[in-house]
Amino acid sequence: MAKQNINRREFLKLTAVGVAVAAGTRAVTTTKASSGAPKGEHQWAMVIDQSKCIGCGYCTLACQAHNDINPEIEWNKVVPDGTVGDKQVYLPRPCMHCEKAPCVEVCPVKASYYRDDGIVMMDYDRCIGCRYCQIACPYDARSFNWEKFTGANPAVPEWGTPEVERRPRGVPEKCSFCYQTIDRGLALGLKPGVDQEATPACVNACPTGARLFGDLNDPESTVSKALHENPSYRLRENLGTGPRVYYLPAVAEEA
Amino acid sequence: MLKNLRSKLFTPWAIWLGLMGLILLGGAAAGIMVFWKGLGITNLSDRVPWGLWITIDLSSIALGAGAFSLCAGVYLFGLKRFQPIARTATFVGLIGYTMATLALILDIGKPERFWHSMVYWNTHSLLWEVTMCVILYLTVLMLEAMPIIANLEWLRKRLPKIAKLMSNVHHYAPILAIIGLGLSSLHQSSLGATYGVIKARPFWFKPEMSVLFMFSAIVGGISMTLFATMLASRLTPKAKTSDALIERVAHFVGYLLIGYFYFRTWDALATTYTYDPGRTEGLHYLTNGPFAFNFWFVEMLLGMIVPMIMLLYQPIRMNRFWRMVALLLVAAGVVAFRWDTNIAGQLVLMSYVPGAAITYTSYRPSLVEIMAGAAIIAYGLTAFSLGVKYLRVVDHTLVEEEHEKVHVKATEPVSI
Repeated sequence: MAKQNINRREFLKLTAVGVAVAAGTRAVTTTKASSGAPKGEHQWAMVIDQSKCIGCGYCTLACQAHNDINPEIEWNKVVPDGTVGDKQVYLPRPCMHCEKAPCVEVCPVKASYYRDDGIVMMDYDRCIGCRYCQIACPYDARSFNWEKFTGANPAVPEWGTPEVERRPRGVPEKCSFCYQTIDRGLALGLKPGVDQEATPACVNACPTGARLFGDLNDPESTVSKALHENPSYRLRENLGTGPRVYYLPAVAEEA
Repeated sequence: MLKNLRSKLFTPWAIWLGLMGLILLGGAAAGIMVFWKGLGITNLSDRVPWGLWITIDLSSIALGAGAFSLCAGVYLFGLKRFQPIARTATFVGLIGYTMATLALILDIGKPERFWHSMVYWNTHSLLWEVTMCVILYLTVLMLEAMPIIANLEWLRKRLPKIAKLMSNVHHYAPILAIIGLGLSSLHQSSLGATYGVIKARPFWFKPEMSVLFMFSAIVGGISMTLFATMLASRLTPKAKTSDALIERVAHFVGYLLIGYFYFRTWDALATTYTYDPGRTEGLHYLTNGPFAFNFWFVEMLLGMIVPMIMLLYQPIRMNRFWRMVALLLVAAGVVAFRWDTNIAGQLVLMSYVPGAAITYTSYRPSLVEIMAGAAIIAYGLTAFSLGVKYLRVVDHTLVEEEHEKVHVKATEPVSI
């Protein structure tokens, strides 16, 4: 009887140690997902100056063409955002590429993930189409492919040529900061945000220069400077998602 | 002769199966349409991506919760005399979870990739956890249902050895009950947390979601099992029930309802303790807007208060008909809670534009969604009625072998 008790105790101890070790290993390997995006060499960010935005929607059109998007879907939406003085203000909204992105956290299959440079990416081949990311996104940045996009893209060729594959039916899609342009540009030794060939399509298309793009790790980049010199805000900042899209608010022109 | 044939064809059983068959055919057609044409033919949208099917999925998992609650009661807390009810509950659970799986396969955009959740783990995702638990628990339920399926006449006659083997799984019932309790506690509450962690939508974003889902599932799951048992015993002599057993459990459900009522009321009304844009609007939508009838009448009055009184007041509880009505009301109330939570949370639209007003959208399931949803429910009803007829699923005279007697051999006297 006594012997049996010790055995049981030892068994329990062993089990406890085993569970602790297993949990520890898991904790170490999974902290990546729970603690937000990894900090790589570059940290891409976008700055949108609302005092310059005139709501023309060129950014959206360029986006539709370069990313070959179904006309029923918009990765980049331009919405009215009240008035300052007698001037209409607009709010262009791409994906925020959150530092702690709800979509990445909730995806059951890790189809949404962080790149080292902070871009929140979608693996369209892995996604099962459960739409939990759409439910979780605070910025309405994701659109589901309810139908297959066939036929011509009305934005092509006037606004650019497609650079990525069309997404299949049954998965949600969203803005990717034109990662394909950034990657190709870097490979060619260009600087995203400075050289057009390495910069997201919406930034290039803006006729008023309301959009800036660059590396937050580089203090000399246009985005770092703009954020250093101007007051800025981010959308729904109280949620703690840490968006990488910053807005410079429109202010009344001094008379 | 014609008369003879007619009387054979038009038995209530045949009519029932025929009716279910029709609904199943309609659902099969709708399902094929969805797989072929895609989810574009539903009324789901980027505003409301989770609709009727997700509600059916949530509800069938909740109403299948009788299995783990009653198995835990029987095998872990030693309430052995309720074992026959736990048998029924296991079968109802198995049906509920397969219904949920069917609904999910329809609902996901890439059904052929359903296995991805088993291969690509995101341990941080509640939906991943729920998926894994449901798959594992479905396995447990299948094992738990082995002794029930072994009752099939055909199997007993043709493959007696396999039938015996399947019956013997019963000896592992306590172990299966422990695993089932663990897995069920995890995913029943995590289904609530699936909504509870969504900080983008303050109407859902609260810690008590998981506890509410868990608690309502236990209440609704037990009620559903009891209702199914009683309905079967009314309709066919194949179902042999002991009314005293059912009455005892139903009395217990009455007490559980007090707790559920208290908790749900507190949860709803405490929503306004702090103001968060979207949260108060959501509550307003629920209590004063399009969901007011559902919330006050179906969920609160008919789903909790009325059955609470009926099940706690002995003269009504003793009346079999009214007891059945009360149990059905409880189950319906839990379904209403799932519907209200899932849909209301999506209809309140939060804008990312600073200072923008809250707006609302609407959702009404399309014909395809309704047909496929009805077929999922019809599948559940058909499976249950076949179980009653051929597998002695509801049979309180059937006493399983005592598992202790077979397995444990005392080698020395135990001193107490």
